[in-house]
Amino acid sequence: MVYWGGNPAECHPRHFTKYSLTQKGRFVPLGRKGRTMVLVDIRETPSAKAADIFLQVRPGKDFEMATALRAIIKGHPVDSALVEETGLTVAQLQDLADRMKRAKFGVIFFGMGLSMTRGKHMNSGAILTLAAEMNAFTKFVCMPMRGHGNVTGADVVLRYTTGYPFGISLSRGFPRFNPGEFSTIDLLVRGDNDAALILGADPGATMPQPAIDHLSRIPTIVLDPKVTHTSRLARVHITTAPTGISAPGTVYRMDEVPLPLRPALPSPYPTDEDVIRRIRLAVAAKPAWEPPAHVTMAIG
Amino acid sequence: MLRITGGKVYDPANGVNGVVKDICIDNGRIVAPADGGSGADTSGAKAARTIDASGMLVFPGGVDVHTHVAGGALNFARGLVPENQRVARKFLHGKGRRAGLGGMTPTTFATGYLYAGMGWTTVNEAAVPILTAKHTHEELHDTPIVDKSCLLLMANNEMVLDLLEAGELERARHVVAWLIWAAKVYGVKAVNPGGVAAWKWGKNASALHESFEGYTTLTPAKIIAGLAQIVDQLQLPHPLHLHCNNLGIPGNVATTVETMKVLEGRRAHLAHLQFHAYGGDGWSNMHSEAAAVAEAFNQHSNLTCDAGAVLFGDAVTITADGPWQHLLYQLTGRKWGNLDVENETGCGIVPYVYKDRSLVNAVQWAVGLELMLLITDPWRVFLTTDHPNGGCFWRYPEIVQLLMDVEFRKAQVRRLPEVAQQRIVLADLDRQYSLYEIAIITSAGPARALGMANKGHLGVGADADVAIYPEKPNADGLLFSYPRYVLKDGEIVVEEGDVIGGSEGREFIVRPEYDGAIEDYIRPLFQQAYTMSFDNYPVSLERLRHPEQVNLSSKPE
Amino acid sequence: MITLTLKEQPSVPLEAEVLSPDVTAQLSTADIRALPVYLGKRQRRVDDFFEVDGGSSDQITIRGDASRVKWLGRAMTRGRIVVDGNAGMHLGAYMSGGTIEVSGNGSDWVGAEMSGGLIRIGGNAGGQIGAAYRGSSTGMRDGTILIGGSAGLEVGMRMKRGIIAVSGPVRDFAGLQMKGGTIVLGCGAELRTGAWMIRGTIISLGPVPLMPTFSYAATYVPGFLRIYSAYLSSLGITLPFDERRGAYRRYTGDTSVPGKGEILIWAPRGA
Repeated sequence: MVYWGGNPAECHPRHFTKYSLTQKGRFVPLGRKGRTMVLVDIRETPSAKAADIFLQVRPGKDFEMATALRAIIKGHPVDSALVEETGLTVAQLQDLADRMKRAKFGVIFFGMGLSMTRGKHMNSGAILTLAAEMNAFTKFVCMPMRGHGNVTGADVVLRYTTGYPFGISLSRGFPRFNPGEFSTIDLLVRGDNDAALILGADPGATMPQPAIDHLSRIPTIVLDPKVTHTSRLARVHITTAPTGISAPGTVYRMDEVPLPLRPALPSPYPTDEDVIRRIRLAVAAKPAWEPPAHVTMAIG
Repeated sequence: MLRITGGKVYDPANGVNGVVKDICIDNGRIVAPADGGSGADTSGAKAARTIDASGMLVFPGGVDVHTHVAGGALNFARGLVPENQRVARKFLHGKGRRAGLGGMTPTTFATGYLYAGMGWTTVNEAAVPILTAKHTHEELHDTPIVDKSCLLLMANNEMVLDLLEAGELERARHVVAWLIWAAKVYGVKAVNPGGVAAWKWGKNASALHESFEGYTTLTPAKIIAGLAQIVDQLQLPHPLHLHCNNLGIPGNVATTVETMKVLEGRRAHLAHLQFHAYGGDGWSNMHSEAAAVAEAFNQHSNLTCDAGAVLFGDAVTITADGPWQHLLYQLTGRKWGNLDVENETGCGIVPYVYKDRSLVNAVQWAVGLELMLLITDPWRVFLTTDHPNGGCFWRYPEIVQLLMDVEFRKAQVRRLPEVAQQRIVLADLDRQYSLYEIAIITSAGPARALGMANKGHLGVGADADVAIYPEKPNADGLLFSYPRYVLKDGEIVVEEGDVIGGSEGREFIVRPEYDGAIEDYIRPLFQQAYTMSFDNYPVSLERLRHPEQVNLSSKPE
Repeated sequence: MITLTLKEQPSVPLEAEVLSPDVTAQLSTADIRALPVYLGKRQRRVDDFFEVDGGSSDQITIRGDASRVKWLGRAMTRGRIVVDGNAGMHLGAYMSGGTIEVSGNGSDWVGAEMSGGLIRIGGNAGGQIGAAYRGSSTGMRDGTILIGGSAGLEVGMRMKRGIIAVSGPVRDFAGLQMKGGTIVLGCGAELRTGAWMIRGTIISLGPVPLMPTFSYAATYVPGFLRIYSAYLSSLGITLPFDERRGAYRRYTGDTSVPGKGEILIWAPRGA
């Protein structure tokens, strides 16, 4: 098992014990002792205590390290000096590659230390491609360690209704996808939208200042169980019942397994779903705005 | 009450072959004409709407017995190919119409519009893992207009395989029944039996009578025989639906014919048979063995099949056959997606293009058609492309054209590379399908195989799912692309090619008989092997908004 | 000649794929004024945002800060667009012929998946120049893109043929997954240039940090450079090739794919 760019001990606290590292499996009866765990990160986090091998990669060098590994597993040459700029030696990478090939079932869990740092989607792409190519040698899989809340569920539902996971525009009457053009932070930073409805997120706490400033300028509506940073700069805040505690639904686990949410406690507030339905009905009651009868060109 | 008058009716289940007669509909069902068929409106009670179908063909709504349109695997594929979505047919948001994208992996709303837009009204999602069945049901619910059913992946389910290896067939039967009800599905699917379990080791199960990784005495043949027996004992309306071992591999004709022997004495449905009818021993000498497969199939009257035909152009291969998909990835060097479902199954996705210049693809294209022409009983072979593996379902009209027009078909064969023409027999086949036979392979036959008594026909009591086509093919030679009208449960949902209405459609499910005590067996095994709470595993019935439930009783031997 | 003068800044991005020589060549002034443009989800008219003069021409001049106007010149096959000001995203995407000249800045996706023609931007441009749209296997298939200022990420990503020349600094992933063609970097680039390259040539006159999957091959002046230099100087780009002045250090890679791409980095004599 390779954990790369993530700190599961603190960020996914049940991962080791429930899913991955310490569980006794039918074909791994020794549990922890039947596994080798490698942690790749820029610093030694508490997760390193659980690792058999800790590889400290230099910040901003994950892409180079993964690419070098792709070459090494194929027996292709790499430049030693340039490899060493990653903070690791060719020998260390070769050792990792050999261990990966010797495994009967290998897995790489990669976290936001990759997907949110310089390189972004290409960092993720590098790990995914490495895992895919490892299948020429042995069984290997790969999984992202996703963020909190139901981000996976949003991804799943958007994909089956629009064909795309995020960064979607419906402005031309049909779904279009272009991260960087329609993704949230980029839209807000450029000020490309003139209204915002925020649900289940707090951009006012996490986003770059130009994005926050823009949210303050335009009509912003927030649906949240709590008054958030974003609520404070919004025009409207609607308190809603917390999902999973008071509002029912379905959540998708990181591996896209759907799980039912049964509310445990009552809430005086409406659910997000109630509020959105009522907004939609109110909008539908307004004079019809007809979309264009046809699309002029095959835009997109 | 609605009356369709003046059209040529094709209703093979009731022996109607192009007879001009009225079809009367009331409360969503076909009813007998109150006037005894004379045409005089004697009802009086309700205002009748009449559709003048003069000069048109009236068909029972199409039934797709094998397609991949909903669930985790298909959704994974959607994410893998944004470039396909970018050029896919666009469905604009409008009054009563949801936005969507067509293409090879249509979004849920678009799937319903595309099927209904062609005159297909019932769709069978061919592969559902229990663990993610809730996801499949969500997507099926969002697939408008058409009625749905789905099949549960079982042939690599480790709990079931363990029981089969131990010879505990009776207990296996109760477990399978419990799983079917837990997942709220209609039938049982077997994909590459043993092979997907072996894929968790990076291996496959290529020999029918040899064991595979993780097991010692269990063989694919025993899984097939065991599951077929269980399905028969549970009296499921649809037989065991089987994707044979060695899909896509040159020389797999031997596996297919041997599999038919294993299934003797049982009902079974062989999925996408085209992919299982190859001779040769490598890609360079691969050739058609459709004749041998058809001959064996013709002799085994206990079997039905669907064609899984290939059409040249873009496709996306999506199957639970993990090892096959990895092989395809290595052959093509293109994108690859792989998902393992803990303890149950897996899936693989590889976008693919079938080229008429490719010898292998040319053979594949021919084999699907050869099977449909060489299998003599149209009630046993159904029109599919294993969407989106062989081609998109909205291209079925192209296959109809190839079946009905021998000159056109032969002209297409002559366009293939010379070497390819020598590896197939299609040029020698003169058979042409009649409209009556087309109605069988696209509607009446699959409905019967699915055991849906009210589908696939226009007799009294049938669900009023009707497709009305112009009599002549369009400029492209296609007859079924643009129905004039499509009715679903007696309501006009498509008029002149435009989707104008439609509800959410129903989901057909079965409740097999099982001993409730089997949960005491399943629960501890589940807690040990799975990573969720046992109480969260089953799909609650409330998740299905419009279930159509069939309760069954078992017939143990 | 058609002149479009921006009279009203769109409040949100304006999608104006109709502003293409292929469309305007056959249309009268009145028809051009009535062409649909998209302000968010609203369909508006060209003349809601532009003063329009002239018609029935494939020569278009756009005046003003059109940095929020997207898809100018989409899929054009002929004619000329001159932007006296800035241009928005997707400028000349899918074009196969004709010329686009921008005096100011461009944005992201300039010349995306183009297959012919010439785009010249005097100022800076964004990222994904001549690139493949997300998921697509191939970017620019031919044509020429010249950027006078800087450019962003993924310049020439998955390009197959054609030339991209950027005079100013370039950010990460220039030539990512390149399949062919040529990228000229006047000032070098930041990280990961040529990453996962299959084929193609990246010529840099400034420093370029290399991936560990590239290795040094030789120092020389390749024969084809003389020809390239002549062609590029006709477009205003100077490529040194005089051996008395220096030579190119050649690196090959990317061995992770494995690829047969090359990166040529100019090393002045005495440096």
